[in-house]
Amino acid sequence: MNGPEPERVGVVARRVVRQLKRDRRTMGLILFAPIVLMVLFGYALSGEMTGVQLGLVDGGGHVSLRSYIASLDDFDIIYLGTQSDAEKLILDGRLDGAVVIQPEEVGVMLDASSLQISERIVAAVQTGLSKEAMRSDAYPPITTRYIFGYDLKMIDTIGPAILGLVAFFFEFIIAAISFLRERTLGTLEKFMVSPLSRVEIVSGYILGFSLVAIIQSATTLLIVVYLFGVPMRGSPLDAFALILLLGAGALALGSFVSNFARSEFQVVQFIPLVIIPQIVLCGVFWPVQSIPNFLRPLSSVLPLTYASDALRAIMLKGASLSQILPDLIFLAAFFLLMFIAATMMLKREVG
Amino acid sequence: MAIDASPAVSARGVTKSFGQLRVLDGLDVDIPRGVTYCLLGPNGSGKTTFIRAMVRLIRLDSGELRVLDRPVSRVEEIYSRIGYMTQHKALYPDLTVEENMQFYSGLYGIKGQAQEERIDELLRMVALSEHRKRLAGALSGGMYQRLSLATTLIHQPELLLLDEPTVGIDPSLRQTFWEYFESLAEEGKTVIITTHLMDEAERCQMVGYMRAGKMAAQGSPEEILAQAGLRPTLRLWLAQPEDDAALLRSGGYEAEIEDGAVTVILKSHAQIGDVLAMVSAQDIRLSEPRLEEAFRRLSEEA
Repeated sequence: MNGPEPERVGVVARRVVRQLKRDRRTMGLILFAPIVLMVLFGYALSGEMTGVQLGLVDGGGHVSLRSYIASLDDFDIIYLGTQSDAEKLILDGRLDGAVVIQPEEVGVMLDASSLQISERIVAAVQTGLSKEAMRSDAYPPITTRYIFGYDLKMIDTIGPAILGLVAFFFEFIIAAISFLRERTLGTLEKFMVSPLSRVEIVSGYILGFSLVAIIQSATTLLIVVYLFGVPMRGSPLDAFALILLLGAGALALGSFVSNFARSEFQVVQFIPLVIIPQIVLCGVFWPVQSIPNFLRPLSSVLPLTYASDALRAIMLKGASLSQILPDLIFLAAFFLLMFIAATMMLKREVG
Repeated sequence: MAIDASPAVSARGVTKSFGQLRVLDGLDVDIPRGVTYCLLGPNGSGKTTFIRAMVRLIRLDSGELRVLDRPVSRVEEIYSRIGYMTQHKALYPDLTVEENMQFYSGLYGIKGQAQEERIDELLRMVALSEHRKRLAGALSGGMYQRLSLATTLIHQPELLLLDEPTVGIDPSLRQTFWEYFESLAEEGKTVIITTHLMDEAERCQMVGYMRAGKMAAQGSPEEILAQAGLRPTLRLWLAQPEDDAALLRSGGYEAEIEDGAVTVILKSHAQIGDVLAMVSAQDIRLSEPRLEEAFRRLSEEA
């Protein structure tokens, strides 16, 4: 055999370029997707924290601390009467933390299920007090109390969200690729000319793959809890059910998206577009509160935002299903919407 | 041939364009029930588009199309009475032969004992009984095609739409297929087959020859040959050609002497027996006109 022949290399390269030029969608994604993703990452990571729900129990004193905290854009301050009010609201997940100001003592109550938010609150209180200390000698003690998640490690706060992310990622890919395969094999067309209705096709698909979802969710849940020791303060069954509901939404989304792809190659290109925004915007690694305001609407329509919130609540705070009802409602609505979309799109087969 | 009063498929002025390309261009045809019907035509003549329109995988631009007495807009109601075999084989390569069959039986609600019997019968017909436990993906091209046909027949459809069903199938099995199609037609089922192979078309009871989205000619193969002025001829080597030719002419036959043998142009194959009874031939040769020649002539005329 001879060595590599530049001319033949050129022939192959030319063919690749020619095909790329013909595949406009791929070209578009190659140029456009990285821009979108880099911009997303950039903004998400450089954003100032805003919208942290902070309770303030004012027992008098420390005027400059109070005005400093109030002056920060980070916090939406909710004024409360008593410490127990604050505690209750944190338990319900309606506050991210609270500051209790008393003349002789400043207390910070934290929900450590997000470490970044807790750190921000503590830092704000310290800065506020240090400004005060410059003027007077009185530097009161800060008592920090974790309402949840005391002694939580990084994995504990991120683990629950990762469970959701992994489930979403794999269910999406599985559904998208295998639904596409029905199309390329010609079986989908055959279904269209059978008594099978479109709703039956999509339902059957999701039902079949939910077996995969069940096994996968159970395994990942066990790993996170037993191998990494992430707390499971709520019911494991609730967590499991929530992951399944999210997975069902991902299966339906995958079935829907497969309608826009004509090859596995194209399906793969949807992955960054569908998955990365959820990693960036849904509070998996950093809190939604640190994402710039103009990106928040995006966060609020992505299912993983709700799933990671709910999973943290169940696993770290021991929340019951009724406490995460809004999350459940959103996830159910997302599933339903994607299911309908997937069913409707099948109709487009008819040219 | 049991021909029902209403056609299985009836098209009037059917048109369909894809962009600038007019694939069906005012197609008119009646396909009677209980026949094997070949949609014949060169690539791109609209055969597959027409079949897909019958099952509403394609929406027509204009014209009227009726399938089993229903307007095509309501063909969904009778999908269980139609068997459709696409050019994609529509099989799961990662399921076994048997599992593919079970899946499609299930779609049509065929269960239990009935399912087993039906699968046995069909696998025997397509000569795959011994391969039932093999993965479909491990089958040869011809076997794969046969399995695809078997899955299409599973629910005993009364209208079969087969898009190139015999591609890649060896001649002896092809023979079995045709016999099976004929037996289905005898039971009153309608079998519509697309092909671009003339010898396949000759086996059909009726042929529709499509060109550029229109029906260029249709009828039984004999009728099409007659339309094109082509008839079977019988060449006879006789002891007294002159006398025998005269005798045949007096019996109403067209008979001519060429190179010492008598050529008789037949109106139908039924005449062969009569001709041979009239004269005692030392040797005979029957020449069949080919559909190919007929279509060539018909398209030249058009």
